[in-house]
Amino acid sequence: MTPIGQIFGSGDVNSILFNVILYIGMFAFILMFNQRMQTLTYQRNAEKAVARLEEISNKSREGVLNSMKPFAEGAVDTRAAVNNFLEFFTIEPVSVDPFGVLTRLEHLLDNRRDRSKLFVTQIAPKAGKTEAANIEDILEAAAAVNFIFKVVRHYLLLAKKTKSLMIFVQLDMQLPLIMKQAEAYYSAQKTFAAGKPIGDGLGPLVASKLMMGQPKIAIADEVVYSEVDILKRKVYVLKAEGPGGVVGKPGEAVKQLVENLGGKVNRIFMVDAGLKLEGENTGEVAEGVGAAIGDPGPEKFKIEDVATKYKIPIDAVICKMGLEEALTTIRKEIVESSDVIVEKIKKAIAERTKEGDIIIVAGIGNTMGVGQ
Amino acid sequence: MFSKSRQPKIAIISIILIAGAFVFFVASYLVDSAYSTYLMVGGLALLIASWAVYFFMGKPDKSKQETPENVITVIGCKGCDFREERAFATGDYIFKEVGPCKKCQGVSYIRAIYSVTPKKE
Repeated sequence: MTPIGQIFGSGDVNSILFNVILYIGMFAFILMFNQRMQTLTYQRNAEKAVARLEEISNKSREGVLNSMKPFAEGAVDTRAAVNNFLEFFTIEPVSVDPFGVLTRLEHLLDNRRDRSKLFVTQIAPKAGKTEAANIEDILEAAAAVNFIFKVVRHYLLLAKKTKSLMIFVQLDMQLPLIMKQAEAYYSAQKTFAAGKPIGDGLGPLVASKLMMGQPKIAIADEVVYSEVDILKRKVYVLKAEGPGGVVGKPGEAVKQLVENLGGKVNRIFMVDAGLKLEGENTGEVAEGVGAAIGDPGPEKFKIEDVATKYKIPIDAVICKMGLEEALTTIRKEIVESSDVIVEKIKKAIAERTKEGDIIIVAGIGNTMGVGQ
Repeated sequence: MFSKSRQPKIAIISIILIAGAFVFFVASYLVDSAYSTYLMVGGLALLIASWAVYFFMGKPDKSKQETPENVITVIGCKGCDFREERAFATGDYIFKEVGPCKKCQGVSYIRAIYSVTPKKE
């Protein structure tokens, strides 16, 4: 057989011609449409993700409306107001000159929180303190889902407009993590609507167990504390004031307590939920040092600042959980871990302090569904 | 994103189609040249079908099933070891006092609230 025959077949002329056309067609198709096919595949994935994000964004919006409806007054156009508020934004302070950036950030966060509270008061005036706090959280979760949806849709449309394979690839690579986060916020919203305790409420739960039966005194913004005697040490236990979904200003509370006590605090214990790494078990308890608090910065800074000023050691105890577990109804493993943490703190107090010492225990987190 | 139950099925169909295409291509070199062209065209068609299955069959997760979670409220007593579990009711919160204890008439309260929904992978 001739070399040509080996490649294109050795039948009649028509067969050879057909094979030649077939090979040329295949090469042309691969050369010209390979990238287009890849683009279409990535585009299809992104479109499916955007469809899901749009669905949960709309459901979240309805969730906000449903949670507000029982507390609203007839004349107000709740839907238009909610749609408007979901577009609410906060501009981060300038950090080119970092001096005082945390003070400015705290000011802006306070502004944001005040606007959110005002909005809930205006739209749902019949809501009590607990319901209003929960509605604020529901709004935050819906705003987060809405924002994710709009950003992903933006990149999808941008990639389609520019026909850029690179934008599609980058979007497709990040979609699994983005979707996980969006689904977590969506699930969280349903939990907030029912006022159930969430995984992030571990810190307040531990604090509540320590302060049980003691009088509660308000300190800082939406934070309460109790004075408890543990193993002949004076322990100040603080947490956000529940059972509404608030985190309060625990950093400000710790700072005020330390300053009120003239800096004579021997140790600070902080309890918080910590994000677990893949492969770690939910409810695992770990100990360390440092301010265990996941705020944008101001509260953590205050604790570190006052502890450094008076040379107070800070011990941290965290309970590991995933993002979705932190934002949705508290799991049994986490509740069980709260008892383990209470015992660990008592043991640490016995080992690392002496009788008559003054100690602060701060339970950090969202106290939704956790009273005191 | 395919739904979790559909994704493996679609992948298996795609793989089967690719394997079929491979068999067609190999067969086209083994059989009489009169049929080899048809086998190659068939193989090519299977390859395109494999891609099409992956591309078109994964519809958006519009109707994603949302599993209802099972939330338990545990009631305890401040004076005795009474313990009772019931389904979560709106208005429940941890450390809420819920009237007299059924066992000792002491103060009963909500000791814990937790979810026992099967863990998502």
